[in-house]
Amino acid sequence: MSLQWSSDLEIGIPVIDSQHQRIVDYINGVERAHQHHSQAELLEVLDELIDYTLSHFAFEESLIEEAGYPFCKAHKKVHALFTRRIQAYQQSAKAGEDVTEELAHTLKTWLVNHIKHDDRDYTGVVKANMNEATKRVKTKSGSWMARLFG
Amino acid sequence: MTRFVWSEEFELGIDIIDHQHQRIVEYINQIYDISAADLDAATGENTAEIKQVLASLVDYTVSHFAFEEALMEEADYPELSEHQLVHRQFTGLIENLKARCEQGEEVSQKLAAVLQQWLIQHIMTEDKGYAELVKQQLLGIEPEQHRHWVAEAVSRYFQ
Repeated sequence: MSLQWSSDLEIGIPVIDSQHQRIVDYINGVERAHQHHSQAELLEVLDELIDYTLSHFAFEESLIEEAGYPFCKAHKKVHALFTRRIQAYQQSAKAGEDVTEELAHTLKTWLVNHIKHDDRDYTGVVKANMNEATKRVKTKSGSWMARLFG
Repeated sequence: MTRFVWSEEFELGIDIIDHQHQRIVEYINQIYDISAADLDAATGENTAEIKQVLASLVDYTVSHFAFEEALMEEADYPELSEHQLVHRQFTGLIENLKARCEQGEEVSQKLAAVLQQWLIQHIMTEDKGYAELVKQQLLGIEPEQHRHWVAEAVSRYFQ
């Protein structure tokens, strides 16, 4: 069963939500490869999924670090653990093992749990930090405008 | 046994950890519900479902333990290695149950009971042990008794 994107998966930070949505698309790609019984299709989508997920993790980690989220290290550790797991599945798939069904299940459960529990925890801190940054930029440009046209 | 009903007494006061514990409780309750339905139907046909929940439970627990251990490490918790050992024993226990289930052994509510008991005991003893230090080191929250002392001093001097 494919994973449907819905508002209960949103954490309220648009840039992160759209990245998560894209990961959901890739996971559904794994599911499609399973339906097509295509190992080649699986390997291709798995490559893309891992690539994209790694950049998403890097982006998210810099965001939470920048915001001073107190559990950065623990959050990163969970990312690393997940990456190792998926890479292990990729190795098995490359070796010709049929891991697609188990993999699709793991990906779906992991992502939903991670978004709903771990990611939601940093939302408040990150949003507050983003608001602060926006305010700083606005004040800056405000004073610049004032100097120029004041 | 009955379903695990989450209550405030299990809270450590670290939101993310409390939420993760509640997610584990949901998985345990799922096992309980499936095996209860199984007993009613007397078919034993829900084994596949239980296997899947157990797989998710193993996954989630491993991730939760990694998170928790990272917090303890960062807070320089002196009993980290003992705590890690207990975590490994629990992971071993669930993996063992999963293997037995895969070999066709009938799963019953006993399984859910074992998990439930373990989790309650672990939260109430070992986890409560690290919570104060993590709150202090990572969240900058002063320990209970210290807060009381400050409050008492304030009321003593500023009546």
